[in-house]
Amino acid sequence: MTGTIFDFNGSKEAGWSQPDPITEDYSESIPPQLRRSKLPEWPRASEPELVRHYTQLSQKNFGIDTGFYPLGSCTMKHNPRLNERIVQHPGIDRIHPLQPESQVQGLLAIYYEMQEMLAICSGMDAVTLQPVAGAQGEFTAIRCIQEYHKERGEGHRDKVIVPDSAHGTNPASASMCGYQIIEIPSAHDGRIDLDALRSAVGDDTAAMMITNPSTLGVFEPEIAEATEIVHNAGGQMYYDGANFNAILGKTDPGRMGFDAVHYNLHKTFSQPHGGGGPGSGPIGVKEHLSKFLPSPIVGRREATEDEVGVADGYWYNWVTPESTIGKVQQWNGNAGAVVRSWAFYRRYGRELETMSEHAVLNANYLRHVMMNPDPNLQIHAMPVEGCPADVVKHEFTLSMSPLKDTNGVTGKDIAKRLLDYGYMAPTLYFPQIVPECLMFEPTETESKEVLDKFAQDFHSILAEDPEIVLSSPHTTPVGRVDEVWAARNLILRYNKSQDLS
Amino acid sequence: MDQLPNLGREQEMLEIMGLKSMDDLFSDIPKKIRSKGPLPLPGPQSEEEIIRDANKLLGANVDLDCRPSFLSAGLARNFVPSMVPMIATRGEFLTSYTPYQPEVSQGMLQAMWEFQTMISELVELPISNVSMYDASTSAAEAITCAVRVKSKKVEKPNTVFVSELVPPHRMSVIQNYTQGVGIEIIKLPHGEDGLLDLEKASSASGSCAVYVEQPNSFGILDEGLMRLREIVGEKTAIIVGVDVTTLGLVEPPGNWGADIVVGEGQPFGIGPTAGGPIYGIFACTKDFLRLMPGRIVGQSIDTSGKTAYTLTLSTREQHIRRHRATSNICSNETLIALMGAMHMALLGPVGLEKLSTRILASTVRTMNQISSIEGVELAFPNSPVFREFAIRIPGKSEDALSHMDKLGVTAGFDLGNWWKDKSSWILVGCDERTSELDIKALKDALKSWVEESR
Repeated sequence: MTGTIFDFNGSKEAGWSQPDPITEDYSESIPPQLRRSKLPEWPRASEPELVRHYTQLSQKNFGIDTGFYPLGSCTMKHNPRLNERIVQHPGIDRIHPLQPESQVQGLLAIYYEMQEMLAICSGMDAVTLQPVAGAQGEFTAIRCIQEYHKERGEGHRDKVIVPDSAHGTNPASASMCGYQIIEIPSAHDGRIDLDALRSAVGDDTAAMMITNPSTLGVFEPEIAEATEIVHNAGGQMYYDGANFNAILGKTDPGRMGFDAVHYNLHKTFSQPHGGGGPGSGPIGVKEHLSKFLPSPIVGRREATEDEVGVADGYWYNWVTPESTIGKVQQWNGNAGAVVRSWAFYRRYGRELETMSEHAVLNANYLRHVMMNPDPNLQIHAMPVEGCPADVVKHEFTLSMSPLKDTNGVTGKDIAKRLLDYGYMAPTLYFPQIVPECLMFEPTETESKEVLDKFAQDFHSILAEDPEIVLSSPHTTPVGRVDEVWAARNLILRYNKSQDLS
Repeated sequence: MDQLPNLGREQEMLEIMGLKSMDDLFSDIPKKIRSKGPLPLPGPQSEEEIIRDANKLLGANVDLDCRPSFLSAGLARNFVPSMVPMIATRGEFLTSYTPYQPEVSQGMLQAMWEFQTMISELVELPISNVSMYDASTSAAEAITCAVRVKSKKVEKPNTVFVSELVPPHRMSVIQNYTQGVGIEIIKLPHGEDGLLDLEKASSASGSCAVYVEQPNSFGILDEGLMRLREIVGEKTAIIVGVDVTTLGLVEPPGNWGADIVVGEGQPFGIGPTAGGPIYGIFACTKDFLRLMPGRIVGQSIDTSGKTAYTLTLSTREQHIRRHRATSNICSNETLIALMGAMHMALLGPVGLEKLSTRILASTVRTMNQISSIEGVELAFPNSPVFREFAIRIPGKSEDALSHMDKLGVTAGFDLGNWWKDKSSWILVGCDERTSELDIKALKDALKSWVEESR
């Protein structure tokens, strides 16, 4: 077992060296009262020790680079290394967001290109790159909608509608803006229940938040009708872009009737997920919401003769939207994520449509091979689908209920056993409307061979002795982790943890 | 286009499914909302072409390291050890997601548990999460968290007092995060000396929380803040925003009564990166644990009793609690926090003290040199400062900065952008890398502007 970093407790001399202070003329400048009395108990380690420590930790961590990562709703596609190379450039790494426009023309040009591209792909009129995560994008868009209603004298609209299959961030984001949440049930097939929607809307409706394709991976054929119902009631339609990877070039939220959308650059545009972040959650809006966007966004004009800039004939500048909601992040968003996503976008250009085709091809193919096992295989109980659709989009759900009823093996057990086979588990128990739900999203970057092998291994697990599955995983760095123990004992830091209980 | 392993194999896969064309896969999208024609975008590029274009565009930027730069205002022109980006971007870390499956995520979970410990030690509070988006969202969510914890226990529910010197961009984030949930923000005044007006601060007694910064927007280290606890009483939460690099020399707020400490983690781990990704730190006492935002890692055991790590207290979070969650935060800044942990570990306690000392020495040296220019005045000559100090110049800061820019010096930040009445103030930011040559360049440039503008 790897020890903790606090096992390193070397000498004072062994650490990382730094130049000496520029002057000795500072000693009186901090009043004695303010002086730190005792230094923090950080490790005392040298680079050789730390490189090995973190390398050993990395070996106990599973990423897309390690193996197939079919985590539904998270779009775990390959992260091209070109992106990482580009963000090491001092023209992004060593840039301060408060530098004058003349010093950052290249960065602004990239921002501008990304704003334009995202607007085109989503059918929106204006884009801000400031929100730094999908949830923050939701929050930002709902804030814009809130100000829009206020300006029209309709600030009394205090309810936001979300389907029961929505991502948890939707209701949480609207709630942070002060909205009451109306959750409407999905129809039995997981799609929007238009009658439920009709009875939920009213003159108190501020907005509806929905993702399409839905969290079941199914395209909502009646989305235009849903947007009409909400618009007729005076509400705004918000598109959760978590599942955007499925539809680029095929349709867009603008055509569906949406007023605002967020994009997850860490899903659709390959910003690495980094163990939980950073993300990037730009939003796009229709014209009537654009003046409320956070400030600043990037505009451009024709350059004058002495303005060289990036030599494309334009001068890029920061623009403050007329009735801006102000800031949601301190600076101008996760610039590093925007630049990575720019590099990713450039790989495809208009062929982002082909990317979406392959994401959908792979999801349907995987569903097909998983649902059609070798007839010679003794399978205890085949999973059924979460939804009876002919084709799915970028992801799909399977319910493990039949298996659980047969031999007690749950969705969670299957998920843990998949870890033994060298795969990341699919998303578990979401959406909650599908019992014993597993949600798979293969993305476009997996080969047919990987999908075939995964289906084969999945079937082998279903045919295994339930005892093996129930006690899995067996080959991982640790066995099944006791989450209840963690919550009960709350050891949240090294050593002093006993003080907490 | 080179990211698609199944390119050219579409028919083979479609046939296995009993489908004819790629179009069949999209037959569920109604005609009336189908796109007409291809996306109006340019064609795909190769890696080689993208690098060429990236170098051209990013090469047109003037980076902080290519000339004397004194721009800070909340971000640090730091030096990041070479090990940090190289090891943190190992694919196992870089390409993993939130560790929902702890059995195959022990590496990141342990690294974040260690990060929590280092932050906890740094600020002297027992609990830390695994990061917020940045210092501003961290401050905003600390305020909403404090209101949740305190509102039912104090005389002035839903009321928070915030230092008037909190910079406008952070105030704006705070406004956006608090306006909808009915929190009233009242400003705490500072005196002519830039220090918090402690007499007036007593009005915060009975409110949910006070939010102050150490150092404040002018780089001032305010000793008076250490008396806040006696001034506001036991019931009001004290939230302190810190520059993490002060804490090798300056007493951490956890030792003088702070309940929540927030701040910008960026100086540890990553360059200023045009403002992101960076990460906010969030540390607190156990009173706030169950209503705090963000992910938390706890130690646990596996089925055989072996030590293991896992996300814990998830019932606070949006994926479980939905609209009753303590925050909507899902993606955070884990990878950048990992870089921070590596940087902190390399520094060690002694290195931290040295780093703080270097920044302080640079600040004092620069301040002494600049204030000797005739016509240039320190805005707060009697207050101790760290990293930054404000000067008043005889004219418009905007003009002076533009003049110095042409001479190849990025001389600081025009405080008129934050406060209109300070359009002749410049915030000069120093760091551990400030050299004598940098200072001379700044001094010469500023002097030449003062002389020319006479």
